[in-house]
Amino acid sequence: MGACSRTELQIQSIIGCEKIAMDFATSVARKIGLSDARIEDLKTAVSEACLNAMEHGNKMDPEKKVIVTLTVEDSRLKIDVHDDGKGIGQIEPPRIEDQIEGKYRARGWGMFLIKRLVDGVDFETRPEGGNVVRMIIKRTA
Amino acid sequence: MNKNIEVSTNQSGDIFIIRIKGDVTSVTGEVIEDAYQKLSPEGAQKILLCFDRECYINSGGIAVLIGMTSESRKKGQKIGITGMSDHFHKIFDMVGLTCYTQVFPSEDAAIKDF
Repeated sequence: MGACSRTELQIQSIIGCEKIAMDFATSVARKIGLSDARIEDLKTAVSEACLNAMEHGNKMDPEKKVIVTLTVEDSRLKIDVHDDGKGIGQIEPPRIEDQIEGKYRARGWGMFLIKRLVDGVDFETRPEGGNVVRMIIKRTA
Repeated sequence: MNKNIEVSTNQSGDIFIIRIKGDVTSVTGEVIEDAYQKLSPEGAQKILLCFDRECYINSGGIAVLIGMTSESRKKGQKIGITGMSDHFHKIFDMVGLTCYTQVFPSEDAAIKDF
C-alpha cells in the first residue's frame, strides 16, 4: 500500500465558512493534480456537505464545529465531513417539475448534487454521536 | 450577515437584464428576488439573468432561481440565462433548470435571439 496523507480543517457553523472548506479542498486537489473540472465538482460537493452539516447536523449553532478531513490515497481522494447531528436519513430526491409547479418549496438540492458530483458517497451516524458524510473522488477520473 | 452580492438591472429593447456578481445563495437570494420583483410592474416579459463567471452558486441559490422561474411561468414571462461558468452550466443541467429557461452563450447572443 502506498503512502497517504491526511489533513483536517474545523469550521464554525456559520454560513459563509463553507468557502474556507472549499479553498482547503482546492489546495489539496491542486497538489495531487486533479483537473480543473474535477476541482469544481469537489468544491461544490464540499460546500454542500458543509452546509448540510451546519444546517441539519449542527442546527446553525456557531459554537458547533464542522470537521472536514481530506485523505489522499494512491488512487483517490477521500473527503469526510463531520457534524454533531444524528443524520438526516434517506430523503427523496427533489423533482424540479414539482417545484416549478409550486407543489413543494424549492429546496433539497444539496444532497442531490453531492451524489452526482463525486464518485462515491456514504453516510454514517456514529453511536457515540455525530454524523459523517464520506465522499470519494477518483484521482484518475 | 455579510451579503457578498452585486445586482444591477438595465434594459435592452424588450429584454430586462439582471446582472449578478458574487454569491448566489439563500442568504443573498432576496437581493436577486427584489430586482426581479421590481421588473414585473414594468411589463417585463423577457428577463435575462446575466451571471458573472466568478459567481458562487450553491443549492440555496439554485432554490432561489427555481422559485423565480416558477413565478415567471405563472406570469407568462420567459427567463434567459447567460454568463455562468461551464461548471454551473453543468449544475443547472443536472438540476433541470435548463429545461425551464433559455441558456445563451453570451449576452450579445441573448439580445439577438431571446
